[in-house]
Amino acid sequence: MAKITQKRIISGLEELKNIKPSSEWVIFAKSQIFEEQKEPTILNNQPSLKFVDFLKFIIFKRKLAYSVATLTFMIIGLIGFAEYTMPGDTLFPIKKLAERSEAALTLQSGIKHNVVVLNNRINDLALATKEGKKENIPSAISEINVNASELAKNLKENSIDDISTIKDIASGLKTLTAVEGTDLTVNTDIQDIIQSLIIDLEKTTLTEDAKEKLDNAKKLYEDKKYNLALEEIFYLANNQ
Amino acid sequence: MDNKKEQFSAVYDQYIEKIYRFVYAKVDSKETAEDITSKTFTKGWKAFQNSENNIENMSAFLYQIARNSIADYYREKTHYKAVSSDKSQEIVDDSVNIHNEAILSSDMDMVRSAIARLDKEYQDIIIWHYLNDMKISEIADLTNRPAGTIRVMLHRGLKNIKGLIEEA
Repeated sequence: MAKITQKRIISGLEELKNIKPSSEWVIFAKSQIFEEQKEPTILNNQPSLKFVDFLKFIIFKRKLAYSVATLTFMIIGLIGFAEYTMPGDTLFPIKKLAERSEAALTLQSGIKHNVVVLNNRINDLALATKEGKKENIPSAISEINVNASELAKNLKENSIDDISTIKDIASGLKTLTAVEGTDLTVNTDIQDIIQSLIIDLEKTTLTEDAKEKLDNAKKLYEDKKYNLALEEIFYLANNQ
Repeated sequence: MDNKKEQFSAVYDQYIEKIYRFVYAKVDSKETAEDITSKTFTKGWKAFQNSENNIENMSAFLYQIARNSIADYYREKTHYKAVSSDKSQEIVDDSVNIHNEAILSSDMDMVRSAIARLDKEYQDIIIWHYLNDMKISEIADLTNRPAGTIRVMLHRGLKNIKGLIEEA
């Protein structure tokens, strides 16, 4: 290119000096720059979002707590109501469930649990008979048979080493014998239970009077006078 | 935050045209200038927000960001040229067509093209002094050079622009 004068260069620089961005772009770019900062602002606001979440969580927890409390009250009410049910009633399974829970909580197991359950069922039968709830009697007898079978089996495998358990078993069976129409001669499991009690008592140190009572019990058992044998055992256990 | 936003808003208003011109003189299009200027202020705003103390020399701060952004732009452009040979013809190389521009364009375009080809050390000083009205003492402070050196560099810069235009 031909020579260019200093004046033209300065003129070109002057023109460049007048170059300006459009006012629309300036405003737009400014808004964009501060707009982009909204994102971090949102991030900065996260604690408040978290707080909102926390509130929701608390509300949710409160709802959950109310639900759990309501459910708990319902269950407690149901269990309380089931306490007065008998075999054959709709809510009786809840009573059995409550018994299992109680046994688990009190670390009740083995023979002791069998005894408690059997005695409960015997009490149910006694109550059903007393209150004339005939519809509950078959179920109660059935429950007694099942539990007596379990206890008999357990007693054959394990011996009782404390007199209070023997007393509880004897007491329960004595209640059963008092129920009108009960005939122990037809229930071999209960006979087995009585026999196990005699065997276990023989292993314990007894007073002379107690030994005499035990001999009587053995004799009565052999004579198939189970009710009377049970009376002797009950007396012996209570006075030992 | 609002206080900082107000402060930077004022900074933006004060420097937007200067930074735009500074960028425009070094790149090949208005759009590129707008894009780089916008990036410069975005980065500036972020840095300004995170700064605990006030930025002492806002002018130097923004020009430095602009310089870096322009460097990034050219780096990306070179990379693009290198990796995409079939597109290379579409990329405007502002150092090639100075002659044609001189015929077809105004003095402003010729000067702008020459500035874009100028050595970096002269480029900034020419833009600051002639385009953004910075006094020699201010440029001296900004560059940590004596005022006399700046004066000499301005003289040489103009001479180089003349040479670049005449060479084309």
